[in-house]
Amino acid sequence: MLLMLLSFSCSSKLDFDQVNDFKLEPVFIANLSAFEIPANQFVVNGMEQNMVFGAKDFDIFRDASFQKNLRRADFFFEINNTINKSYTIDILLLDGNDQLLETISFIVPAYSGTQKLITQTEVFENARVDLLKRTKKMEFVITMGAGPALNANSPGSLKLRSSATVYLLVE
Amino acid sequence: MRKVYLFLMVFIAAGCFSQNKQILYNFTTVPQSLMTNPGADVSYKFYFGVPLLSGISGNVGSTSFSAYDLFADNGVDFNTKLLNVVHRSSQNDKLVFNEQLEVFSGGFKLGDWLENKGYISFGMYQEFDFMMFMPKDVAILALEGNRDYLGKSFNLGDLSLKTEMLSVLHVGFHKNVTDRLVLGGRAKIYSSAFNATSTKNSGYIYTVPGTTTAYEQVIYSDLQLNTAGIAAYTAEGYEGDVARDIRKKMLFGGDLGLGFDLGLTYYPKKNIQFTASILDVGFVKHSKDVETFTYKGYYKYEGVNPNFDGTNTPDNAYQQFVDAIPLDTIYNAYKTWRPIKFNSSYQYSFNDSRGGADCNCSVSESQYKNAIGAQLFVMTTPRAPMAALTGYYRRNLFDKLEMKATYTVDSYSYKNIGLGMSSTLGAFNVYLMADNLLEYRDLAKANSLSFQFGFNFIFKDSNSPY
Repeated sequence: MLLMLLSFSCSSKLDFDQVNDFKLEPVFIANLSAFEIPANQFVVNGMEQNMVFGAKDFDIFRDASFQKNLRRADFFFEINNTINKSYTIDILLLDGNDQLLETISFIVPAYSGTQKLITQTEVFENARVDLLKRTKKMEFVITMGAGPALNANSPGSLKLRSSATVYLLVE
Repeated sequence: MRKVYLFLMVFIAAGCFSQNKQILYNFTTVPQSLMTNPGADVSYKFYFGVPLLSGISGNVGSTSFSAYDLFADNGVDFNTKLLNVVHRSSQNDKLVFNEQLEVFSGGFKLGDWLENKGYISFGMYQEFDFMMFMPKDVAILALEGNRDYLGKSFNLGDLSLKTEMLSVLHVGFHKNVTDRLVLGGRAKIYSSAFNATSTKNSGYIYTVPGTTTAYEQVIYSDLQLNTAGIAAYTAEGYEGDVARDIRKKMLFGGDLGLGFDLGLTYYPKKNIQFTASILDVGFVKHSKDVETFTYKGYYKYEGVNPNFDGTNTPDNAYQQFVDAIPLDTIYNAYKTWRPIKFNSSYQYSFNDSRGGADCNCSVSESQYKNAIGAQLFVMTTPRAPMAALTGYYRRNLFDKLEMKATYTVDSYSYKNIGLGMSSTLGAFNVYLMADNLLEYRDLAKANSLSFQFGFNFIFKDSNSPY
């Protein structure tokens, strides 16, 4: 009976080699970095600091399969300055030997009473994404520009939020 | 990596087929029907199955997609088809694969030819089970990422799978307690060659817009995979023959368990029959080669955030994550329950003008040429039980050939037509059953197929000594 059934049955044409076309192209969004520096942090012992500095190990791309499959990454930055001072923010990407790979810079004007968000998108693709894969450390250098002198009671803060959109290709 | 993903994707397949043997159930000219109801009204002087060929059964299938949906040669990109299949499915779709092979089987009547001391049946079969629910959320996350799903909580509890290879040694007894009632039971010893169970998972991953950071991103994970009998093969330096080692373990070198089946057949009237059975109430204790993997923890990812106090604080995001949700391996024994199956049927028998006049012999359905009936099947799964309802027609042709046609409705299919036949020539019995016959119109589009067949030698219990 089974043979009879099979002899009467049909089958649409199937192509199992399509498995070779299989690939995953997920797109993930994730936090990249964030900070908020109140105005009084630029004043130490009553003295204005013209430069503040922060550093952080950058190991989120450490996972080997993630490294292999990373195709593109977009960094999106949003800066909100409510201090009556202009700033330059430099984000330095360094490799394992502290060699500079990439600098992302922002010019931030002084606060004048109305909120002004500075946004910037950095696209890492092709050769630039390889720099990102070699990055082991991020340094943040904030240089204070023109504006009235700050004291311990100066209002406002310098705020940065950033995210990464990561494009993977798994095949 | 691609192969690993593909393997997962193939099993994402949403399926529907169970261990429902609706044709074999209560098909009493076949002694194997005792395996679906130990209290089935089967009589014989003695019988034995042709070794390795007495009972072969398998189910394969899926309703929410077919081979055609994924592999159709229609110019549509494979990845598009895959995505469509995932989106169309629900996390309650499941893929179940079951295969059984009787190694040996036999039975004999106790006592002399006129005595009513009952019947013994025994045997050993090998069984492979696989069940996996569609991990829909996890599949979407892997295929598409989270960018387009801001605010969605991906449910890690969608991950649920169970697989096992075991052999079962069993002995059953059934007896006509009265003219109207047959009771039966079967004891089983399980020997599990390997088992992998991951059914009690929970957790979530979500990304929502944040305030101080760009997003609020949280992973909570409570995942656990129990394995037994697998560690030895995956260990480094293993140079044995996996197939041979598994065979060896199935012959009671594996993890042992105990279980039982119970069943009955009752005739409230001569031509009305009621049956019920409960199968595989039992457990296996896994203690050999046990490895349990867990991913348990909570992690909120905030990014690479500097302090501006002049120091490089060494709290690395990746390491934090690994520490927050560590992969732990535990070596404790664990217990698994066999999927419990419940069957019941109600049957009305009658004769028509084609013959089979009433006789005065003892109550037994075999005097009737025709029977119609309904059956219910319920099986436990790691989530809600699955159920199926079957209507059937049975006919005896020339005493040598018995046919049964079934129509089954379950939560996945409403057009499952099955056909079974059992033919006895002398002592030689052949049976063959297949369902989802409509699917044979185009096998590539078939959602599920199942079959049972086997060969036995049956020596009838007659009312005369010779």
